[in-house]
Amino acid sequence: MTVIECKEVTKILGGTKALDHFSCRIEGDKITGLIGRNGAGKTTLLKLIAGYWRETAGSIEVFSERPFNNLLVSANVIFIQNEMDFPTALNLKELLEVMAGFYQNWDRALAERLFEYFSFSPLQHYKGLSKGMKSTFNMIVGLSARAPLTIFDEPTTGMDAAVREDFYRALLKEYLAHPRSIILSSHHLDEIEDLLEDILLIKQGQELLHLPMSDVKEWAVALEGKVSLVHEWIQNREVLYTKSTGFHQSAAVRNDFTEAELQQLRLEGVRISPVKASDLCIYLTRDSEGGIDDVFNKG
Amino acid sequence: MVLNLDGTKPIYIQISEWLENEILNGNFESEQKIYSQYQLADIFTINPATAAKGLNLLADEQILYKRRGLGMFVAPDAKDMILAKRKNQTLKRLVEELVLEAWRLKVSKQELIEMIHSINTGEAGE
Repeated sequence: MTVIECKEVTKILGGTKALDHFSCRIEGDKITGLIGRNGAGKTTLLKLIAGYWRETAGSIEVFSERPFNNLLVSANVIFIQNEMDFPTALNLKELLEVMAGFYQNWDRALAERLFEYFSFSPLQHYKGLSKGMKSTFNMIVGLSARAPLTIFDEPTTGMDAAVREDFYRALLKEYLAHPRSIILSSHHLDEIEDLLEDILLIKQGQELLHLPMSDVKEWAVALEGKVSLVHEWIQNREVLYTKSTGFHQSAAVRNDFTEAELQQLRLEGVRISPVKASDLCIYLTRDSEGGIDDVFNKG
Repeated sequence: MVLNLDGTKPIYIQISEWLENEILNGNFESEQKIYSQYQLADIFTINPATAAKGLNLLADEQILYKRRGLGMFVAPDAKDMILAKRKNQTLKRLVEELVLEAWRLKVSKQELIEMIHSINTGEAGE
């Protein structure tokens, strides 16, 4: 079942294209990681999906309906971001009550247990919370809502490492018990990759890669060995990254080697290793092959 | 029971290897039901689809078999198959690397074999 379908979606913000003919299709009951650099268009995409903003051109469908100003979509989607627009007059306990009234599947018992586990006090106000505690409270709301489409935009901002671990574990437990479609955008791919079924990588407002997580690790390989040797092997291949240190060169290339070629490489003394998913994303989303080194190597 | 999370080996392969070890060391006997994808997801905090991929890998190799509606079970000769696979694949590759490294270091085959002999594994009759 398709939950989200974007066709040629463009969103212009302040004269620039935050999304540029963006197309993608997200299937239901999966955890999808939305990955991209700052300014790639992640939050814009999520706000369009949640119906907060209206697309400039193209079409976007969530549960087969156009999300903007749509009651069905807002009742079935929860969008968690850093600064939630909660009513300032209410304390935390009252906020949970309000949310419980809005979301049909809201799990009171879960909300209460999490509230207690993370040591919130009912009379506190959201505005007075630290950054990390705000994120933690947001997480309680996001998980307890049990919304068929649950979106977390950078949910771990400000959380310490222990709370982040707790969040990932709670998210997975909730998902196992009550499968739903979850989109998780994060800068910490290393931390979330094991939770993800699919990854959606975006760059400059366009879809770059949309793959099952298990395929991502086999998408590219790293070669390391003598400069001349590595150079010869990577010719006519899609090179994602290269770095040479004196006599040695390492390169990450698209993995289209046959088993025989890999065997040959090993025999010639080239070290072959997998490319980490987070490294692959860095290579794919940066603008120049050499990265920051290019800045220093010029002139 | 900790996975190597440095990202170099796909998690589903690590799951299948971990399950193989559980079978080899007798924690799961032949014809016994093995963990479900959801139990594995919970144990390792991983996506259940990844866990399913690890299980399916073993089902494809007939080390596990499916019973409709009941889950995955350990095949009668699972242990032998795992041992044979480890010997033919893992051990063979290690030996290949060993021989290559010896060649780079200009160690003769004779010398290498002597080195192997000198390592005492505690095997009877050595």
